[in-house]
Amino acid sequence: MMEELGITAYKCKKCGRVHYPFHDRCLSCKSREFETIKPEGAAKLLAYTQIFNLPWGFDVRFLIIGVVEFKNGVKAMGQIKADSLDKLKTGMKMKATWEPIRVQAGEDIYGLKLASIK
Amino acid sequence: MRDVAIIGVGMIPFGRRDEDTLLDMLAYASLKALDDAGLGDKSVDCVYVANMGAGILQHQTSVASALVDRLSLIPAAADAVENGPASGASAIKNGLLAVASGYYDTALVAGGEKMREVVGWKATDFVATMTHPEAEYPYGITLPGMAGMFTRLYMEKYGVTREQLLAIAIKNQKMGALNPYAHVEMVITKEGIYDSPDAVVNNPVAADPLHLYDMCPVSDGAAAVVLCPLELAKKIAPKSPVLIAGFGQATDTHTLQERDDPTDLKAVTLASQQAFEMAKLKPKDIDVAELHDAFTILEIAESEHAGFFKKGEGGKAAEKGETSIGGKLPINLSGGLKARGHPVGATGVAQIVDIVFQLRHELDKKRQAKNAKNGFTINFGGFGNNIVAFVLRRVE
Repeated sequence: MMEELGITAYKCKKCGRVHYPFHDRCLSCKSREFETIKPEGAAKLLAYTQIFNLPWGFDVRFLIIGVVEFKNGVKAMGQIKADSLDKLKTGMKMKATWEPIRVQAGEDIYGLKLASIK
Repeated sequence: MRDVAIIGVGMIPFGRRDEDTLLDMLAYASLKALDDAGLGDKSVDCVYVANMGAGILQHQTSVASALVDRLSLIPAAADAVENGPASGASAIKNGLLAVASGYYDTALVAGGEKMREVVGWKATDFVATMTHPEAEYPYGITLPGMAGMFTRLYMEKYGVTREQLLAIAIKNQKMGALNPYAHVEMVITKEGIYDSPDAVVNNPVAADPLHLYDMCPVSDGAAAVVLCPLELAKKIAPKSPVLIAGFGQATDTHTLQERDDPTDLKAVTLASQQAFEMAKLKPKDIDVAELHDAFTILEIAESEHAGFFKKGEGGKAAEKGETSIGGKLPINLSGGLKARGHPVGATGVAQIVDIVFQLRHELDKKRQAKNAKNGFTINFGGFGNNIVAFVLRRVE
């Protein structure tokens, strides 16, 4: 059982396309009727990078960021918990959690954190 | 719709311009364009100003109103155009349509950005504000980060190599060193950035697999063009007019993750096809191009998506020198964003200015594409979610 992730995705009731983030009309069929769904199942790493020149709000030397696809079709960006890219590979399975990703105005902002499954 | 020509262009050297305000830069480039068009003491009907970040970076809004006042162009109609890094080409498109429609006869289009007065992380954060505010921005993703993810996928799918990316960086900085308007006027070598122990220090990873020298610099700068109907241009233009033969614009999903194939820059393909169709030309008819190489991978990917090379062949062509001066299709003889610099609001206008220089055959032979008649540009907004392409033609 995966712990609750704070991502709400939107599945088109007409054609089944999964959207995240929200769109007012379906990207495929333009329908406005959606079922809200949560990411489910294992996450597959679709893309990743390590960035060193960070924007405002991060007091770390680098960030490793990736995009995953969950088994139910939800695709989302997250921060990857790793010291380097050495053990990452496109297509690998990742474990997703909902944790602080940055601090704004003294408060933790939560988001998707990803870690490779050993 | 009337044919529309560019009758004047102006640009100021890009780089770090501590002494100038944003309005100074826009005014200097505009005055050069007006003088070039022979309208130095005259007015224009409308003004479009491309700028992405004055509201954030300078705490200044309504830059178009400010520019017409500064240039004493009142009561010309004036609008600011913000379309991320594609603001420049979007503003030119607006000027083109305003004149083509017959509503206005003369348009001044200026683009400018002042990015160097803030520290690096603020500039990086400012550019990152174009990412999705819920699904991307909070994670700390930057545009170089998006490019890094895209590059890895493109390498995996099409076999693009580090050497091919290096070929773009080396070519464009070589051309930038010949361009008096370029921000970076430094020739680099493969040894210096790849093949030596020093390369690790000189060229560190910035957004893996992209390194520092795969990135364009953060720049200040401005550029401007003057448009009028072709028939009027033939009567009043002091220099050879350049016809805007075609344009195209297309959009794609805000986030890269929602594209069926994140390596497929559909908006680049669509915008390019529209521009070629309107111009009644094909990619093989183009003599010189300015592509949006904010990252080296983009020059390769855009050259393929625009139809100049098959997928997977653009990097090989660059490596073989086919996109260098004297090659089959010279790309970014200005140095591109990589060397000319990337003041985001100015870039799309600067690309057009550089192609006009080429089509008027005004450049030193080291940078002039031989017998150039047709030019092409791509201005790349967001991470490929808003693309504007132009085809320009020399008027004999």
